[in-house]
This record gives sequence, structure tokens and C-alpha cells, in this order.
Amino acid sequence: MPRVHDVLTSGDLNKFASLQVFARQVVEGFCSGLHKSPHKGFSVEFKEHRQYVAGDDIRDIDWKLFGKTDRLFIREYEEETNLRCTVLLDSSGSMGYRGSRSSLSKHDYAVRLAACLSYLMLQQQDSVGLVNFDDQVRSYLPPRSRPRHLQSIVDSLHEQTPGAETELAAVFHEMVQKIQRRGLLVIISDLFGDVDQLMKALAHFRHAHHEIMVFQIWDPDEIDFPFRQWTQFASLEQADHQHLVDPSQIRAAYLQRLEQFREQLSRGCRRHRINLVPMMTDQPYADALASYLAHRRRAR
Amino acid sequence: MGFNLLNTPLAWGALAFCVPLILHILNRSRFRRVEWGAMHLLDSVVKVNHRRFQLEQLLLLLVRCLIPAILAFTLARPVLTGAAAPAGNTPTSLVVVLDNSYSMQATDETGSRYKAAVSAATDIIAALPRGSDVSVIAAGGAAHSLLDTPVFDTEAVCRKLRASDATLGAGQFRDSLTAALTTLAGMNNTRRELVVISDFQSADWADSTLADDISRQASALSFQPELTLLSVASDVAENMAVESIRLPAVPVGKGQPFLVRAELRNRSTTSGQVTARAFVEIDGDTQSVTDVVLASDSTSQVTFPVQIEEPGSHIVTVRLDVDDSLPADNQSSVAINIRDSLDVLLVDGDPSAEPLQSETDFLSIALTPFHFGGLKLSDLIATRTVAADGSLKSQFEQTPAAIVLANVPRLTEAQANELQRYVESGGAVLITCGSRMDVPWYNTRLFDNRSLLPARLGALKTIDSDQDGVHLQAQRFDHPALDYFNDPAHGDLTAAEFRKWFQLATASDASTGLDTGATYLPTRLADSRQDDPRAQASVLARLATGDALLLERRCGKGVVLMLTTSCDDDWNDLPLQPSFVPLMQQLVATMATRLSPQINLQTGEAAVCFYPATAEDTADSIALTLTRPDGSRQPVTGERQGDRYVLNYGDTLQPGVYRLTAADLPTEHFVTTTSRAESSLSGLTTEELDSLAGGMNAGIVSDATAYLKQDRLRRNGWEVWKIALAILLVFLFLELLLQQKFAGVRS
Repeated sequence: MPRVHDVLTSGDLNKFASLQVFARQVVEGFCSGLHKSPHKGFSVEFKEHRQYVAGDDIRDIDWKLFGKTDRLFIREYEEETNLRCTVLLDSSGSMGYRGSRSSLSKHDYAVRLAACLSYLMLQQQDSVGLVNFDDQVRSYLPPRSRPRHLQSIVDSLHEQTPGAETELAAVFHEMVQKIQRRGLLVIISDLFGDVDQLMKALAHFRHAHHEIMVFQIWDPDEIDFPFRQWTQFASLEQADHQHLVDPSQIRAAYLQRLEQFREQLSRGCRRHRINLVPMMTDQPYADALASYLAHRRRAR
Repeated sequence: MGFNLLNTPLAWGALAFCVPLILHILNRSRFRRVEWGAMHLLDSVVKVNHRRFQLEQLLLLLVRCLIPAILAFTLARPVLTGAAAPAGNTPTSLVVVLDNSYSMQATDETGSRYKAAVSAATDIIAALPRGSDVSVIAAGGAAHSLLDTPVFDTEAVCRKLRASDATLGAGQFRDSLTAALTTLAGMNNTRRELVVISDFQSADWADSTLADDISRQASALSFQPELTLLSVASDVAENMAVESIRLPAVPVGKGQPFLVRAELRNRSTTSGQVTARAFVEIDGDTQSVTDVVLASDSTSQVTFPVQIEEPGSHIVTVRLDVDDSLPADNQSSVAINIRDSLDVLLVDGDPSAEPLQSETDFLSIALTPFHFGGLKLSDLIATRTVAADGSLKSQFEQTPAAIVLANVPRLTEAQANELQRYVESGGAVLITCGSRMDVPWYNTRLFDNRSLLPARLGALKTIDSDQDGVHLQAQRFDHPALDYFNDPAHGDLTAAEFRKWFQLATASDASTGLDTGATYLPTRLADSRQDDPRAQASVLARLATGDALLLERRCGKGVVLMLTTSCDDDWNDLPLQPSFVPLMQQLVATMATRLSPQINLQTGEAAVCFYPATAEDTADSIALTLTRPDGSRQPVTGERQGDRYVLNYGDTLQPGVYRLTAADLPTEHFVTTTSRAESSLSGLTTEELDSLAGGMNAGIVSDATAYLKQDRLRRNGWEVWKIALAILLVFLFLELLLQQKFAGVRS
């Protein structure tokens, strides 16, 4: 059975320990403390006692302990939230690309990123679910907040291998039906496909009042197209789909098309108030995630 | 317009155009395979740009193929040629006509013209292809070759040229060009060139017939030489020169004062007056100094009174102390022989004890005027008067400078024989007529038998006392002795009246006796009759009647003059005229000395020197040392010819003073001079030079670099590798540009 530490290094875990996830929007759920929820949390778990000081609410004084010790102590509780986060992990064939400058394929990177997020959420007592999909939903773990749920998520992540074609819009439309309670949707994908259809599907999510955060995974090769000699590009998703080209000749047009694609995505996400975060596989994924969370914190 | 490649093998490099083609094919066949995710991006790019990519690939491939092809083409050194095939590096026969006249010594701040000419010549010769032969014709003084034969060792030619120097001679370009064409005709290479390097002075090249003459000679050759004119003219015009020196026409005796006239010229056309100091030097010692002021482009004559006490050969030099561009012509020298005295034997045929009644009295006074006047000045001539008696033969044997037979009736056979020997060995005789002469004896013995008399004497012409006497015909005299009287200031010979004289016999007189009519041998005869010994006579002066008064005849090495009237006042009043003294002085002195060899020569003329041989001299030759103008010495030999040793020396191209010395013999000098036209440093104008070159069918270049460039063009055509290189660079840049453009690289 795979363990969490098979996926995350101890360094990664240490980095996450000091970080906080702050939702940009108020979501429905049971939370208190840092989460600005309109609903009071009901799940209060005792954490520790501390010395009473003037100004403390006398309702929090542990009178039983006062009776035993004749001293005033305040009861402190561990706070919980009801943030429901669902991680949608793209396992299509295009996610299987790994460039020469990267140590991980996009999918491997996405798996680690999903694991990090899950761990982080569960540490915050949030519920985390996982959806693996390519052209259809391959597996679905509903959100849970139990710490042991992380193991289930990791097991599910390990089971996925990229290969099939991508059909994001259809999958997302399908998931709208399945995820009925509002929450945070973390989509980890390269988003390769028809942008208009994708935006409609994301709009569908937004219509269901979900907050959406998209980690778009890029390999550096896909960004700067570094190829020089004649190359046959074969599709990772379709067997007979290939092009024999002089990369230096088409590079400019490719980069132009790429820019156009990214601009479309960016514009669409802005319109639907979706947080789009491009991630590069040659970046340490944990560092990139930490930087993003810090950014969210400052933006709060 | 033809086309040629100098490095043809490199042109095969053009096949390298295949390299980009092969690389392209290889790249397409040996591609890399990449499993790619973002195919949806690639799909749209390939779909939209497929045709454009193909065109771009084709264009880029074409440019890349052309680059090695153009590079190979450039390295192959393409040339454009004319209609004729280029000569390439085929050996050449080259003749350089090098102007080493003294104007080439003109110097400006860059150096002398001659150094520039030598530099150009050596540059041209050094650049000749292997196997070429060279000859150099020097045009200064007289056309002569610097090399005995055309040589293949161009280095040796260059060394010889660098060691040479300009002469003091004038340019002789007609002869030089003719010699150059003749030399070219004797050379062997197919390609033959003639290069003329000169300052192209107007004085040397302005002859309008020169170009046509040379062009005609060149076209008559079996080959067509390529002529090139290379001008080394420089802008120097400031020049003063001693143009000429004139000495007295008559021989000068020791201690006799005489005048040296020097003509000085300022050739400058721009500057104003120039003041210069002129010196006259005798054998290097300054005798007289004068300041002379010369306006620009003007001539002035200065006269120096000179007196030389020592008889013998001397050098008179006139020198200008002035700083100008051409020092070579700032002095000039002439040689002069100062006579000790001329021993003249007067044979009196009509002696008398009475003063001025003797036949030779007037003549004796005229020949020794200072002595007769009791003056301290010495006479050039010393006379001895003897009667026509039996002692004459011994008198003749003493070999006087001249003998005057004055109204001598006749001579004995022995005396006549001795007289003939005397004349033929170089003696001078003046025969004056008179009433006592035995005319038939003269005609028979001296004209017919011995060819001494200039002409057969005819009838005695007498003018009656009631009639006016006959005067001398006014004419310009050609004879040196009478040239003096061409100047009216020196006296008027026509003032004298003649009443009696012998006419010359006509042709019919030779058989029928005396007659009047056409004179026999009255004038200098045509060359066709020079085989007739009697044809060696000429008439020097005539009377108004047309009768000859003074005749001259060459006999052997000597000369005989005949006055057809008397030398006293019996038949004319000539002795009473002021002109009698100079006339007799001129006649006798010239007659006695003119047979001496010329000592003032033009460059290139052979010098002749006589050294008398005595009976004790038995050697066939004498050894002499000749010191040339440049100070070099060489031994020369005088060969025995009869009673004297004769030196013939022909290498007189170098102008200046030549000095002959030998043990126990007096020093002799001769001087060679050249035309002072070289002193005019102005050259042909551009139009005149173009016209000259056009007439000679020659090209013009300004320096050796231009010549070599033109030569390369003629040999190889117009090299266009620079253009090809430029095209190559353009294609390289284009390739880079296209590649970056197609790849969408932006700065």
C-alpha cells in the first residue's frame, strides 16, 4: 500500500506546515477562526487549557477544573471548517508529456500537486475529494475531512496513468451533476482542448456557485518550443496523429498560437472569476504551490 | 565581352551547392520523434501555414545552395575580358625606354624625376612573369642600350637601373624608340611591350612627326607591341641655365686678351626678376665675376674679358651661383687651345728694298700688327719672309703653320714636290696672284700635275683706269674665316676696289687656251663628282662681276687658298682698307689652325686628338689616360698615323670635360655639350600627351601602380571577385535574415 511519504518528501511536508489556505470567497461550510464563514461552526474539539487572564470570556472558564485546583483556567478548542474541496486531476494522454529539461511528466507533477493540496486541506480539517478523468470520469472520491482520507486519495492518485484523449467540457458538465454542494474545485490540467467549450463547462461550475482554482500544468518545451532539427511530433492521445516539420520554421507560428491560446484561457477565467495559475514542471512543485498560497494570503 | 576564371580548379567548389541540399534531405529523413501533447496547437499552425512553410523551405534551400556556389565562384577569381583572350601569366618581352636626359635631374620635395623613373621601371620589371626578357634603352645623350642584350635576370636589370644616374645629355626619343622597336623585334616572347618613362618635356616630344613615325614603324612590325607612356613629370619650373659659351672664332695666342660670351637664360615663367652671380673660370680658377639680373623667361648675354698666359689646352667654365630646381645646367664649359704662336712663311715673289713696295709688306704688317706698332701685346702670328729662291725647299721642310706664296713666279720641281708633301700632310698654303706669276706653270704643275691649285687660272682681267674698280659681291659668308665679316661692325670688305685679277679658266680653256665665259670649277661641286680630285675646291668670295676672288681646296690633310688678285696694292686697294688686317688675320690663322680636330663637340660625337710624332718616335701607339666628366679614368691608346699619333674616342655620351694625359705630353681637353632645350622643364600638357599617345596608339599611365593595374587588366581582364564577394555577403545576410524571419526571431 502506498503511503503519503511515497508521494511527498519530508521537505515538502515541512513547507506546507507553515502555510495557510485562505479562500478568496466566502463559501458555505462550517468554519470558524481564519475562515470567514457566515455560519458558526459546530464541531468543537478540545485542544488545551491555559491560565485565565483578565478580559477573557468567563463563559470559557472550566469550572470543573476550578473546583479541583482552585485556579481559573480557560478551555481552548481546535477549530474546524466545512470547506469542501474537490481536486479534479486530468489524466489524459497530453498530461503524459515530459520534456528533456523536466524530471517529471506533467501528470506526475499534477499528481504530486494534488497530493500536496489534499494533505494541506486535510491538515486544515477541510474536506477533500478527488476526481480522476480523461475523456470521462475514471474515479471519484467524494470529499472527506478525515485524516485517513488522505490515504484513499493517494491510492487513487497512484492508480492513474495518462493515455486517453481529453474531453474536459464533457467531464466537467458531468461533474457539475455529481458535486452538488458548493465548494472549492481545484482543477489540475493542461486544459488542452477547445477553449470555448471549456469555458462553458467552467461557467457551469460557477453557476453552481463553486469557487474554481485551475492549476494549468506546462512543460517548458511547450512554452518555448526549443526543438531545432526536423522532428516528427506524434500525438500522445491519438495513435496516427503526427506531423513531420522543421521546428525552427514553425516555431514562431506555434508560439503565436500558444500565446493566443493562453490569452483566451486567461480572458475566459477572468470573466468567470476563476483563478488560473500556470505551473511549470521544471519548477519545484512545492515551491510553486507555496508561492501561490502566499499570494492568496496577501490578496485576502 | 568574354569571361574567364583565374583559379579554374576552385570553380569545382561550386558543386558544394549539393551540401545544403543533401543536408536538407538528410534532415528530413533522419528526423527526431517526439511524443507531443500540445497537438491541438500544432495542428492549427501546420494546417494554416503548410503552403507557406513549403515555399519558405524552398527559398531558404535555394539561398543556402547558392552560397557555396557563389563562394566557389569568388575563390575562382572570375574576370571579364575583352574580345581577345587574356594573356595571363605568359612571359613578356619588355623594352623600357628610360629618359635619362639631364632634365630628369630636376628635383622637387619628393626627389628627382630620374629616381621616380627608375623606381617605376624597377617596379614594372620586377612584376614581370617568369621567363620574361627585358631590355632598357636610355634616351639621354644618344639612344643606347643599358644592357648588351635582352636579359632574363630581372633582378640584375633592377640592380643596374638603381645604380644608374641621369646623364647631362638631351633626350633623343626618335632614335630611342626606333632602337626599342628594333630590339623588340629581336626578342622572342609572343607578348611584347614597350614602356616609355619620361618627363615628356615639350622640347623633346613636341615634334608632330614623331608619333606618326613611331606608329608607322610599329605597324610595320610582324607583331603588335603594346606601347605605354609613363609620365614622371613634376611641377618644377624655376630654372636658370648657362645656355652657351662663345669663344673667339679666331685662334687665340698666349697673353692675348679675348672675350668669353655666355648666354644666360631664366626659364621661369612665374617668378619675377632673378639676380644671380656669374663666374668665369679658367681651369677651375675664377677669373671674373659679374652680377646678372634676369627677368622671367628672358635671355641675357654676359661678356667676360679673359687672358690666358700659358699656351696649350685650357677649360673655360661659366658658372651661375643660383639655387634652382636643376643645378645641372647652371654651368657650362668649353675647351680652348691657346697658341704659342703661328709660324707663317711669307714667300715674296716680288721683293723690294723700298718700304711697302715688296709683295709681302702689307701682308706682313697685317699679320703682325702689334709687333709693327711696337705694342707690348703679342701677336698670334710670327712671320718669316723669304725670297723665292733655292732655299725654299728647306724652308718648306721646317713645316711652318702656313705658307703664303705671294706673286711667286714659279717653283722648282723639288720645291713643288716638297710643297705638295707639306700640304698633303696637313699644311696650309695661301697663293696670292700677281704680275710675275707664270700662269701656265701654275696651271700645269700645280693644278694638273699636283692638284694643289684650287682652280685653273684663266685670263687676267683688267679694269681701265678711267673706269671704277670692281667691288666684292655683297654676300653672307659661310667660311669660318670670313664669318667674322658677316657682322658689319667688323669691317666692310666690299669697300675695296679691284682693278686686276685672274679669271678662272673655262672648260674650253683646258683644250684651247684662255677664254672668258663660265668659270671652271667655280663652286663647291656636287658629291657625285668628289671622285675628281679637282672637284675639292670651292669659292669663298666673289667679285661683283661674278669672278671668283677667293678659293679653297682640300689636298690630303691640308688646304690651299688662292686669292686671284695681289696681296699688295698693285692690283687693288684692299691693303689700304681697314678690313685688310682682320681679313688676313682670319684667313691665315683659320687656315693654319682649322685642320686641328674639334675640341668642343656635341655629345655622342667622336673626339679626335693628334699628338705629333717625331722621327725618334718609333712606337706604333702611345698610351694615354682619359679622365671622364664623372671623374672616372680609363686608359686609351693613340695609334700612329704617319707623322702623328691619333686618338679616336667615341664614348662621349656623357657631357662635360674630358681630359687626356700622358707622360711627357701636354694635357689635352675636349668638351662635349648637349642641347639646352632640356633646361626647359615644362612638359606636354594633358591634351598634348593624349594626342601623342593617340598618335602612337599607346596608353598613358601616371605611375607604376597604374601600369601594373592596367597590365593585370590586360593580362587577366577585369577581376570581378569583389563583386562576387559582395553578392556572397548579401546572400549570407539574406540567409540569416530569411532564417530569422521564418523562425520569427525578433530582437
